[in-house]
Amino acid sequence: MIKQLYIKSAAVCCPDSDLLQSFNLQGSDVDKSLIPAGVRRRTSMTTRMAITAATHACSQAGVDAQSLASVFASLGGEMQVTDALCRLLPDDNELLSPTQFHNSVHNTTAGYWGILNKCQAPTTAIAAADDTFAMGLIEVWAQLRQERGERLLVCYDELWPQYLAPPIGQTAFACAFVFSTEPEQSKGAITMPQISPQSEQDLQAEWLKLTESAPAAAVIPLLLALQDKQPGLVPLNITEPIWACQFDV
Amino acid sequence: MGNKALSQALLDNQSQLTPLSLFNIPFPSFVGEIKQPLLAIREQLAEYNCRNARVALTTLNDKEGGVRDAVDVAKEKYGSDRIGVIIGTSTSGLYETEAAYGVLLSTGKMPDDFHFVTEHAYQATARFLQLELGLKGVCYAISTACSSGAKAIAAGQRLINSGICDAVLVGGVDTLCRLTLRGFRSLELVSGDPCTPMDKNRHGISVGEAGGLLMLEKRHADNNSALKVLAVGESSDAHHMSTPHPEGKGAALAMEEALQVAGLNTSDIDYLNLHATATKINDSVESRAVYSVFKNQVPCSGTKGITGHTLGAAGALETIIALIALQQQFIPGTQGLKNLDEDCQCQVIQEPLHKQDLQIAMSNSFGFGGNNASVIVSL
Repeated sequence: MIKQLYIKSAAVCCPDSDLLQSFNLQGSDVDKSLIPAGVRRRTSMTTRMAITAATHACSQAGVDAQSLASVFASLGGEMQVTDALCRLLPDDNELLSPTQFHNSVHNTTAGYWGILNKCQAPTTAIAAADDTFAMGLIEVWAQLRQERGERLLVCYDELWPQYLAPPIGQTAFACAFVFSTEPEQSKGAITMPQISPQSEQDLQAEWLKLTESAPAAAVIPLLLALQDKQPGLVPLNITEPIWACQFDV
Repeated sequence: MGNKALSQALLDNQSQLTPLSLFNIPFPSFVGEIKQPLLAIREQLAEYNCRNARVALTTLNDKEGGVRDAVDVAKEKYGSDRIGVIIGTSTSGLYETEAAYGVLLSTGKMPDDFHFVTEHAYQATARFLQLELGLKGVCYAISTACSSGAKAIAAGQRLINSGICDAVLVGGVDTLCRLTLRGFRSLELVSGDPCTPMDKNRHGISVGEAGGLLMLEKRHADNNSALKVLAVGESSDAHHMSTPHPEGKGAALAMEEALQVAGLNTSDIDYLNLHATATKINDSVESRAVYSVFKNQVPCSGTKGITGHTLGAAGALETIIALIALQQQFIPGTQGLKNLDEDCQCQVIQEPLHKQDLQIAMSNSFGFGGNNASVIVSL
């Protein structure tokens, strides 16, 4: 049974370049050229961010997205689309857009990712509130322990209306990783996430504050460990119990 | 309804569809609406209180289903941190959020008792069950539209196979809401009458609501005689967000993958519960996919004329229906079917059929985004 998963690539998409700078993170804004106009017109900000990060992660890792199974992890998924539809519902005379309706499902991004890459491999869409990144990693672990290979994990959440669950959704953030059971081209390795003895007080204050408003920013400690080649215990969420994994170069 | 009532409805091929009464929508619709009183959420978990959580609790506590007892036994045996909770849902607590938007639009703010993360967000029902049961381990929601419940079973099985959990409470819970009914209506997929899967005159979906829960645990000497999940095959269509691949390639891939993982031949499947939503295109594509894998050699039926299309719960509910068929040794009928579509080449069973030696069954679930899952279960 595998004891470590190797990270082949990691890519961030965040429209807020000041935020990336303040955490000393590399990342990009949405790259429109990656999404054909026909799909771009129909997709939300969250899907475009997630697809940008996922495309960059795949090209960095040199993997073929057409055969790569994937896990999409997001607290709220298509919140902007869902919000727009919910605003129409109190009026019986309003007709919903069929495109907006099928674009409101949680696996919208996963669906467009498969369509864009002609990928028939399995994909799943998960959610776990503050634990979304940690549980996404566990889903990847379970998949790769069952069958060796590579997985794409995409973690993302967009800007939300602030009457839903403030401060969630004040910042949009997406990140994608390619994990492998094999050490070739590895940039670092992680152990299985476990509940750690850490408490919220042990967490870095700026990261905690950001992640309260951008759930996908839970990935930042792992990204920084990867960037700085800094081995250690990496927290994966901000509310107790704190899940963590051991990062090694 | 509980397990006993579901078994009886299947044996009697009795539709449970009725005109929608839970809320008003501007068009006629038959739905699978839960009419029995739902259990109340206890005070300490009040922020999780929504119809989805109440359906989950009522399902959990159903005596004949016995899921709550099974979780308690597993807790004693493995410890609360070794038991996962993975629940599929498409809209979670959206029903309550819709009402909250009415308040938002008229007053400019959400009502004070609106709790987005613990009611509406996808993980809310999974987390509620975890807290209700005093569990402490892995917990998340899978939301891949109408394959969610089947994918939750796949995730649970993997967590056990990979040694991450010793047991996992899996399933699907989804409740009726305006967005789903009016959304399917916008796609011109809602039937004004009870749905008629695989019928040549079928005219769309009857939406339903349900909770379907299964307690999975790792194999050991004491549970050899328990019902088994053998494999789940998963695939993507990579074709369109709401229309299946015209030749059913993705659907066929999921069925073939399930057979391969389970190490079975097509002749080993004794019954196939179809996804069969009763829309023109879905049923014709599924029948083509089933024929491409099984020819007309496996008895199939679609049970959404009894339960309605329970969306994110369907994959779990229909896996349970497949298990009931095996336990009671019968092939469920296809309620609503009168004249089989001539294009349908697979072997569709119209009325319940008592048989012997039913050992292994498959259940198909296909969702928006071209997200497919086929579950194989056995006695």
